[in-house]
Amino acid sequence: MDKSLQKTEQEEIESKRKVYREAKEQTRKNARRLRFDESNPQPKKDSVDSPRKRFYRQRAHSNPFSDHRLDYPKSPESMDWSKYYPQYHDKESNNMLQDVEIADIGCGYGGLLINLSKEFPKTLCLGMEIRVQVTQYVEDRIIALREQNKSKDINYQNIAVIRGNAMKFLPNFFKKSQLSKMFFCFPDPHFKQRKHKARIITNTLLSEYAYALKVGGIIYTITDVEDLHNWMVEHLTEHPLFERLDKQWEDQDKCVEIMYNSTEEGQKVERNKGDKFIACFRRLPDPEI
Amino acid sequence: MKHPYQNIVSTSTHLFVSVQNHLQAFDVEGNLVGSWKDTIGHEDLLKKQQLEKIEKLNQEPEIKRAENNKKVKIPKIPTPGPGAPTIYNYIRDLELTHDNKYLIGITDSDKSIIIFEINLNEDNCLKLIKRQTFPKRPCSISIADDNSTVIIGDKFGDVYKIPIIGENVPEKDLKPILGHVSLLTDVLITEHNGKQYILSSDRDEHIKVSNYPITYVVKHWLFGHDEFISSMVQFDFDRELLVTGGGDDYIYLWNWYGNKLLSKYPLRDLIEPLLDESHLPPERFLHEDSPKEISVVKMITMDKFVVVLFQKVNGLLVLEIKDETLHLVELFPLDYPLIDISAGGDKIFGLSEDKIITQFTFNGKLTIDDKEFKGMIENNPCEVQSKEEFYPLYTMNTLRKRSEH
Repeated sequence: MDKSLQKTEQEEIESKRKVYREAKEQTRKNARRLRFDESNPQPKKDSVDSPRKRFYRQRAHSNPFSDHRLDYPKSPESMDWSKYYPQYHDKESNNMLQDVEIADIGCGYGGLLINLSKEFPKTLCLGMEIRVQVTQYVEDRIIALREQNKSKDINYQNIAVIRGNAMKFLPNFFKKSQLSKMFFCFPDPHFKQRKHKARIITNTLLSEYAYALKVGGIIYTITDVEDLHNWMVEHLTEHPLFERLDKQWEDQDKCVEIMYNSTEEGQKVERNKGDKFIACFRRLPDPEI
Repeated sequence: MKHPYQNIVSTSTHLFVSVQNHLQAFDVEGNLVGSWKDTIGHEDLLKKQQLEKIEKLNQEPEIKRAENNKKVKIPKIPTPGPGAPTIYNYIRDLELTHDNKYLIGITDSDKSIIIFEINLNEDNCLKLIKRQTFPKRPCSISIADDNSTVIIGDKFGDVYKIPIIGENVPEKDLKPILGHVSLLTDVLITEHNGKQYILSSDRDEHIKVSNYPITYVVKHWLFGHDEFISSMVQFDFDRELLVTGGGDDYIYLWNWYGNKLLSKYPLRDLIEPLLDESHLPPERFLHEDSPKEISVVKMITMDKFVVVLFQKVNGLLVLEIKDETLHLVELFPLDYPLIDISAGGDKIFGLSEDKIITQFTFNGKLTIDDKEFKGMIENNPCEVQSKEEFYPLYTMNTLRKRSEH
């Protein structure tokens, strides 16, 4: 095909995506406002539509070391969760009724998060994603789900997504022992040796995850890259604050099943007939210091 | 003209200074008593990397090589392109052990920690006893109370420990004891009730408190800074206290053990009049209302006092701690900015472009001593044609985050 023609076509697609995303942004803004203003009129129809993924595509990698323009709280105490979980916020006391307990680190397009919402309808789950457009997709998806399921038992008020760099700023979000589950699903494999520090599981980062996890809390990992699986297992096994859970445990755990089936990455692997490797680890008590 | 000295540490009797890849020791009269020159350059590091690559290629099984139908290609030594930043061979930081028996430095040339035994009875008091290379550039060091161990933070966010005495550890066997996903700016090993802790700070506003030696158990983070942290110091009289500073408009005082911010000393009104155009952000980040930026380079504590060195500010700030609060003692005016400072006994030594070295006496207030260190000026081995040849002397600005994404 003619190069310039190809370029124009590419630009057209880009601008179409842009227009679509801008429209959704308006919806998002409205939704944020509406959460605090319950006397609002019926939302416009398009906010109920589920977002279409093809308008939000973004390359799969992001450098965790670079200075993205990120919003993160100065400390866990200064985090305003009410914007994310308005129904779990008590207006009178201005306190949250409960804390986030499940974190999906690198939540991608949000498949796991949505299934967790159904499995744990009374638990607050947070997805963290570093890519802007992917985060917006998940946010739009949650807005739509909340609208569509307003009067139902499962109303998706317990899930939210934040654009953030979990590797750098996790301690800004979560207090000590706040989390009971952390998910690391199909993380960036960073194949090159010198990029290994950019992997989401390293022995030094595990100490920070252990800080946020309560004793008995679980780290879930899944990947289709065997090398990365071995790496994660090696580092988690080596870490004194984690112990691996066996196959038997995995087989009876509901989250393992959800994780295996529900993420977009996982479904892609399925379509391509690839393998999926799972490893789960339990947070052990701190040793006597 | 001479290149200014870049780093100093001192005792009450001796000064240890570095300029480019030279290290020198002087007594307080300015007599040269020791020297060392780093003969390893950045080229050597690249050559070493090349050899490692060749080695690795040679180890590849023959069959695989045949399969790929490839000869062993000798990897090239990369040559920097026209826009590449200059690489400087210099000594980045200096520290003394608490008993003043060892001098520890960081070389940029081969990413090493260099350890010298100080023997003042020898003609040359500096004897290199260890040169330990690291995978990433070390940038901060702290020495354990028992003078046996050095804690090292690197530019990649990892913290290591190595013994002062004893064999080198092969680079591949070095395992970080803790880490940040950020550039580390300072590490500090301290104790509380007989237990040891490591405090580590980074350019992403974090100060992490980890147990030591069980560093995988994080105690907590000290949250409160809005900009990078460059310096963490403690007082000998109360080691629960911690003073921190960096890119913020405040000096912070903490009870680090109790995770409590005790007070913040405001700098803006005091320091602003001493700032000039050079304190504005780089042009592409400059807005109409960009404030001039205050950057703490280094702090030292003496008794109940903190002396603060700011980047390119003609003055030294002296604060005193009283009732868990920092109070102003004085903003001591200078005719020129200092590059580095160090305390020895009741003296403070300051390095500068203009005067090479200035001695102050501190007895609750600062006074400049009328003393010239002729020997230091004469013995400075780095002759340059003009200021253009100076290595960067004021580098704090690279720590400030200026995100575009």
